[in-house]
Amino acid sequence: MYEEVTGSLMQSYNICKRQVWLMAHQIIPDQEHPYIEMGRLIDDMSYDRDRKKINFENVVIDLVRNDNGNLLVGEVKKSSKAIGSARLQLLFYLYKLKQNGIEAKGQLFFPEERKKIDVRLTSESEAEVVSAINEINDIINMDKAPAFEKIPYCKNCGYKEFCLS
Amino acid sequence: MKKPVYIFSDGELHRKDNTLYFEGESGRKFIPVENTSEIMIFGEVSLNKRFLEFISQSEIILHFFNHYGYYVGSFYPREHLNSGYMILKQAENYIDEKKRLYIAQKFVEGAYRNIRQVLKYYQNRGKNLDDIIYAIERLGDLIAGTSNVNELMAIEGNIREYYYKSFDEILGNCDFEFDARSRRPPKNSLNVLISFGNSLMYTTVLSEIYKTHLDPRIGYLHSTNFRRFTLNLDVSEIFKPIIVDRVIFTVVGKNIIKKDDFDEDAEGLLLKDKGKMAFIEEYENKLKTTINHRSLGNSVSYRRLIRLELYKLEKHLMGEEEYNPFVAQW
Ligand code: SF4
Repeated sequence: MYEEVTGSLMQSYNICKRQVWLMAHQIIPDQEHPYIEMGRLIDDMSYDRDRKKINFENVVIDLVRNDNGNLLVGEVKKSSKAIGSARLQLLFYLYKLKQNGIEAKGQLFFPEERKKIDVRLTSESEAEVVSAINEINDIINMDKAPAFEKIPYCKNCGYKEFCLS
Repeated sequence: MKKPVYIFSDGELHRKDNTLYFEGESGRKFIPVENTSEIMIFGEVSLNKRFLEFISQSEIILHFFNHYGYYVGSFYPREHLNSGYMILKQAENYIDEKKRLYIAQKFVEGAYRNIRQVLKYYQNRGKNLDDIIYAIERLGDLIAGTSNVNELMAIEGNIREYYYKSFDEILGNCDFEFDARSRRPPKNSLNVLISFGNSLMYTTVLSEIYKTHLDPRIGYLHSTNFRRFTLNLDVSEIFKPIIVDRVIFTVVGKNIIKKDDFDEDAEGLLLKDKGKMAFIEEYENKLKTTINHRSLGNSVSYRRLIRLELYKLEKHLMGEEEYNPFVAQW
């Protein structure tokens, strides 16, 4: 099964492998759940270059065109707790942009902590993204969804009722 | 929370830009698109393609009922949740006779256990149901050993026959005597209520299926011919005793529906609109009633419980977890 890795799959990958598999198989149990909305917005964003700012839940992604014609992709997060996943997600966008011929720099903002972190697509971090993409593909190609294991995120997950029913 | 809209009057359904309204004798009534899950049409209603297009886009299902209040059919907008994977799994479990039988048995088992639960409840309240429960339990023991769907259907039919006999004892109301199960159109008031309630149940389950990735045309107990919806009939079996039948016991027991709520016409007996509305009110209340759900750790409504049942079935089809039907605790 071939499935294009999207922003929402990358985000799921950081949360739960089971979610990756379910999403890729178009099993989207609860349409009314805010999480699903979020995923859609992220997907929209990847291709909509006119939009400068996207708001959802506690995340804001800013696309800022700077003076040199270079793109700065900034991502604002509430807290640096999940910095690992925020970084990987941003790297994924940078990677996607690069594939479309756009070189961009990334920056994570944590306004409440007055923190700013540069994220660059180096050969090392690019390898990280590629390996994440590969792993996502491996998960998708599994015969069955990875077994359900309760994690703290389940509470807020759109799949909650599906997994727990 | 989206809600069903019920239309009893005659008139026309219209689309005006991005809104919907119903035009009847008593004027225009707007239908809030965002808050409507389905439209249940009992009156003589006309509509056009523009209207259907907008309904499709808004993912609202139309369910049609005839003069007697029985389900005629649905306008089921093109699937918005599409998972080729799930449809393959659904078909695979249908084609393989063993797999199909297993699921069909589980539906009958769910129906049987919930019927038994309803009867036990009334037995505990002093109703004389010992013989019927005994007979039903003997039949229930045979479910798992059936070797094909026809045999299974026959057992189900027998269980139901005994079960409906218990209604006279439970209700103790000579205006609502059972006699025999008659359909299309039913000949006595109790049969009218059963058919009407079952029709509502079929549409409720169909609407919930619409929100999953299951294809309602592939059923396991009721055989599939790909022209009709059958999966909703299957899943309804589990919920009829604890939803529809309990509503019947309430509306008759509390005199909410009485003998004079029925009319006789050339072909049979029918429930007047006032009676239908009273029944629907109880039915909707029942669907909203919540119960505690152990694994979810919170309370869920009966309507939600139907959805969870479908999720369980999906997980069975995906080979994750064997399906076991919901059984009421009381
Ligand atoms: S409910 Fe939990 S296990 Fe299921 S997909 Fe969501 S996070 Fe993963």
